[in-house]
Amino acid sequence: MTAFVDLYSEGDTFLHRLDPRVKMIAVLTLSLLAFILSGLTNLLCLLAFVFVLMALARAPWAKTYFAMKFVLRFMALIVIMWPLFDRSGTPVLASLGPIVITEPGVLNGLTSAVRVGCLAMVWYILIFTTAQRDLVRALVKMGVRFDFGLTLAITLRFFPSFSMVIASIMDAQRARGLDFSKGGLMKRSKNYVAVLAPAVVTSLRTAQALSLALLSRAYGARSDRTYLRELRMRPLDYVALAVVISLLVLPALAIYVLGMSL
Amino acid sequence: MIPKPITDQGQRIIRLHDAKFSYDPGVDVLRGLSLIIRSGEYVAIVGGNGSGKTTLAKLMNGLLRPKSGEVEVLGKDASKQSVAELSKIVGYAFQNPDHQLFCASVEEELAFGPQNLGCSHDEVWLRVEYALDKMGLGHIRKSPPLTLSLGERRKISIASIIAMDPRVLILDEPTTGLDATETSELMATIRKLNGDGRTIILITHEMKLVAEHANRVIVMSDGHILVDADVRGAFSDSDLLRQSRLVPPQISQLAHSLSEDGISKDIISPTEMVFELMRLRGNGR
Repeated sequence: MTAFVDLYSEGDTFLHRLDPRVKMIAVLTLSLLAFILSGLTNLLCLLAFVFVLMALARAPWAKTYFAMKFVLRFMALIVIMWPLFDRSGTPVLASLGPIVITEPGVLNGLTSAVRVGCLAMVWYILIFTTAQRDLVRALVKMGVRFDFGLTLAITLRFFPSFSMVIASIMDAQRARGLDFSKGGLMKRSKNYVAVLAPAVVTSLRTAQALSLALLSRAYGARSDRTYLRELRMRPLDYVALAVVISLLVLPALAIYVLGMSL
Repeated sequence: MIPKPITDQGQRIIRLHDAKFSYDPGVDVLRGLSLIIRSGEYVAIVGGNGSGKTTLAKLMNGLLRPKSGEVEVLGKDASKQSVAELSKIVGYAFQNPDHQLFCASVEEELAFGPQNLGCSHDEVWLRVEYALDKMGLGHIRKSPPLTLSLGERRKISIASIIAMDPRVLILDEPTTGLDATETSELMATIRKLNGDGRTIILITHEMKLVAEHANRVIVMSDGHILVDADVRGAFSDSDLLRQSRLVPPQISQLAHSLSEDGISKDIISPTEMVFELMRLRGNGR
């Protein structure tokens, strides 16, 4: 029924309490780290580290599985498809006519899949442990204009309501005898006009009402607005920041200055 | 074609037996409902927000399927029929007309349903004319629906269902956001539809409308049917009212307060009150 759910879960773990700015920087550094590491073992270590973080955040399995279902399928696809197109190196593991499977091909496929897994998990942990308003708050604090922050917040906030509106519109048209599962491609795409048109009109009406509501609550009256929740870095936040930065900087130095292969 | 005289007054159209429904596992929205709707009835479904009124309505036209129990429409198991098939019999006008309207003109909007049902070109136009006439929309037939007032948009959304010629018409809070004139016009139109033999199921919060228009009231509370009774009986039974936490229309409250002075307790409309007062004055003379 719900096409989109907010993945954030209320919680009181170390990761939930961490300053959202630190978490966002951590996500960026860990993502970069996943890109600069090329060894499968190292990437698996990173994946293990991410799993430890996930355990720290006490993410319930059902929710994690729901969020990761698509990533897992994508990872499986990479593992299967990569060796078919990457025929570099030896030894050859199998060959059947034009299809040649090599050991480096398989390894590269696994490496890329683990890399994608790391990236997805890291971002999932951020979204899982950080309320949307805190994400926006952190962006604004880091210099993003408040208008943009608010726009982002509203977009995220209206995702669930919008998916409910779409569901309601589809029901309303089904009640008028429209069958979405029948007909050819042309007929089916035409059917969706009956959904899109009311959806656009409804969202424009909502947007207009919302902008008036914002204005009537003095939005933009002063540039030096105050905030309900001030973000303040605590000692632990600095420690965490130092750890995540060194997690990126040390391997980067080893790779690009010392020329090591990690 | 229209109107085919509906001559089966009293025939059983919709039957629910112990129908249960839940959106999320573990949270029952409907906890086993049983009811029968007969042809020609004017039924009001009332109850607090979240009591299950809309969910019940969606079970009747197949938009939702019961998790257990039975829903029958004209004696056939509704779960074996598509929403499109059921929409020929049970029409459902959504609460928000803007979730329904998308065409460039009122005419096209009304033609959409019959076209989906596979009606011939001539048949579609007959039905459009019929619905325009019934809802009094002839003067704006060429206008784009989305530019019209809420009252007109709501009439169009109901007309678009009437054009499909359903035996049962479910109206989900049709008077929300309408002014007094628009409300009384719409209610008069709905009454005419009922007069033609169409079964009306009205979901509403306005007890005044229930008292003045419906014959039967179903009170929902927390996924149960608390009361299923004729309107007059329901509004004059103070125990029942207290139990269902309903506030009867003011005229009924007045009749209750004046009952010691000889006014009948079961008055539910101003007209009845007028006759009652005239009767009393006549006696007094």
